[in-house]
Amino acid sequence: MKILAIDTSCDETAAAVTEGTKVLSNIIWSQAAAHAKFGGVMPSLAQRMHEERIDWVIERAIKSSKRATGSAIKMQSLDAIAVTIGPGLSIALGVGIDRAKRLAKKYNKPLIPINHVEAHILSPLANSNDEMQFPAYGLCVSGGNTIFVLIEKEGYKILAETQDDALGEALDKGARMLGLGYPGGAVLEKMAKLGNPKRFTLPIPLVGQEKRQIFSYSGLKTSFYRLIQSSPPKTKQDTYDLAAAYQDIAFKHIERVLEYSMTNNKLKIDSKADYVNLLVGGGVAANIELRKRLRKLSKKHGVRVSVPYSEKLYGDNAAMIGVCAGFKIIAGEVKPSDLFDYDKIDRNPRLKINQ
Amino acid sequence: MELAEVEAVVVERVEFPLQPDLGKCYSRAYLNGIICKLNKLLTKTSISIAKNRFGLCQNFAMKRVEVKKINLREVVKILGNGGLIIYPTETLYGIGADATNEMAIQKLTEYKNRPFGKPYSIAVADQKMAEGYVYLNEAAKNLYKKFLPGPLTVISKGKQKTAKGIESEDGTLGVRIPDYKLVIDIVKEFGKPITATSANASYKKRPYKVSDILENISDKQKNLIDLIIDAGELPPNDPSTVVDTTMDDPVTLRQGQIKFNEKNEILSKSEEATQNLAKELWQKYEIHKGKRAIVFALQGEMGSGKTIFTKGLGRAMEITELVTSPTFAIENEYLIPNTKHFLYHFDAWRIENSNELRSLGFDNLIKNKSIVSIEWAERVAEIIREFDDEAIIIWVNLKYGKNENERLISWGVEQ
Repeated sequence: MKILAIDTSCDETAAAVTEGTKVLSNIIWSQAAAHAKFGGVMPSLAQRMHEERIDWVIERAIKSSKRATGSAIKMQSLDAIAVTIGPGLSIALGVGIDRAKRLAKKYNKPLIPINHVEAHILSPLANSNDEMQFPAYGLCVSGGNTIFVLIEKEGYKILAETQDDALGEALDKGARMLGLGYPGGAVLEKMAKLGNPKRFTLPIPLVGQEKRQIFSYSGLKTSFYRLIQSSPPKTKQDTYDLAAAYQDIAFKHIERVLEYSMTNNKLKIDSKADYVNLLVGGGVAANIELRKRLRKLSKKHGVRVSVPYSEKLYGDNAAMIGVCAGFKIIAGEVKPSDLFDYDKIDRNPRLKINQ
Repeated sequence: MELAEVEAVVVERVEFPLQPDLGKCYSRAYLNGIICKLNKLLTKTSISIAKNRFGLCQNFAMKRVEVKKINLREVVKILGNGGLIIYPTETLYGIGADATNEMAIQKLTEYKNRPFGKPYSIAVADQKMAEGYVYLNEAAKNLYKKFLPGPLTVISKGKQKTAKGIESEDGTLGVRIPDYKLVIDIVKEFGKPITATSANASYKKRPYKVSDILENISDKQKNLIDLIIDAGELPPNDPSTVVDTTMDDPVTLRQGQIKFNEKNEILSKSEEATQNLAKELWQKYEIHKGKRAIVFALQGEMGSGKTIFTKGLGRAMEITELVTSPTFAIENEYLIPNTKHFLYHFDAWRIENSNELRSLGFDNLIKNKSIVSIEWAERVAEIIREFDDEAIIIWVNLKYGKNENERLISWGVEQ
């Protein structure tokens, strides 16, 4: 079953062709450079740019998928269209949904609405030969979302979610405070690598309160602001050390919340596999230090970490949307034949994973 | 089973059959609460106190009395039995309990629906009485002389003469001398301070009339009230200003009628206090809801508490959905329960010009008399100001204070 997937949830215009959980093409056109001079995504600019680029991106996705399959793929030969309906930037989401609806109508294809966060969590399934084992843990760490869930056959149970900033957002804001531009999470990671995380001390958010199972970065931002005020970076090394300290504590918070959950919810899997999976997706999952720590923590609890096979599946992309749709079809969660009522499908900027 | 535990069970058996006869006095829930607490305390004394209380409270039912028909002796009797009274003041309706009776304070905390450990202010008759409960320094004495009786709560170091739960964790205590003869008379007759907290439950509407209170609380809460002294509708005055005199310089913790600066400014020492200020500002401007757009224009550096402030707004509007940072999505919307109104929460960090804000439908929000909170408002100040005529715009500035969790927060309808 071949699916054309579209995602315009923020500043990446993305389209992909997938088959089951196999990725045939994955085209991402990033607006980051255009937005960089404004220090972030500008909503109306994002909308205009999505509109300008989406047809081109879809065309490219279809063309590239030919190369993967060796045979010609046309719109007519696709089986369904999948599109992100949320969460995301409202006016950006609208562009992808409109285009998906138009194509679905024109070619009489079922239209599958997909939750962007769910797709991030399931992104490690792309091109993977492993069968999904229930229950599993899922973690989405991105610029807009930070959520830790239990994936059960019946659906998702939220174990912990952020009360204020997403992890990626917190890292971006830390970078902003260090004057590294915005979004600067990736720059912060590079600098942190060169720094000594022990030179400065910052408090771990909600330490001792892991039982509450929440993520929060408001306190860390405050402490970091105070730290920069009291020891303003004078040399490059100072900046590296501050970046390292901030990233270290931001990650420790995630580790501690997960650790509590893994210690207290001993998951029992009902099959031959002798491990529980932790599926990790989202832009911050590309951070090598975070992955290293998640692996170390998980190992202690007999949990195996799965991450996407390609860098192109960490940040926003449409391949994960197609994979998520494919997974839902295989699992029998959605029946494409039921999905011709296009008017029912609408954007939901604050869509919840268990909704 | 220990002896005390057995007795607790006995209390339960003996007291429950009495329950129907208690009338409106104490709800079953309150009885249950006491029994639960008893089971935890497991001391003979507290059981006998409880027995005493149950015995005595049968004499009373929740009564509503007009202010001119009030019998001081009856009021004092209720207070003495650990009862709760609602009384008018020069600011809002307050709720009074014997500030030296721990059971009464527990009952009050249950009524207010707030976690135990958040301090209460007390009302006293005069400075002499105040000095029995707090140490007054020079700064405090000056404030007493200049402003009391009046709408000012002065926080001083407590003498630990009040019940547990009245003083703050740091041992400070807020004292008020209301400029309202009836309250002074009650306190004088009682000979002990009573609590001076507003009669609404936490994060509920400011009470200017009795119906403001009764319409916003549960039956369970209503059953905790022993007496309401009804003085009709009070003038819409702000709550009392709260000043902390325990630091080097007196600091305003809540800005009410009395102002010490040109501007409205408070020192928030916790996220909770920042949320509380948001609540108070919402309660102040809520009357414009549906008539004009209400815009909270928040200005302040990273981590200064803009999202925390908006959480407080949400809480005051009874939004139960989690209010999170709008940075990524730029705009989040939250439905205000039981209304058709939404709270629109913006992050203007990425918004560069008026067209940007317009493309997000800001004009329509103003036209539709919406409620809006905008973080990084300084970036779009000019556009916001264009709507000065159509909207109530409250500019809120959040600045880092001297210590870790301190924030200096000022506000006004002019930037």
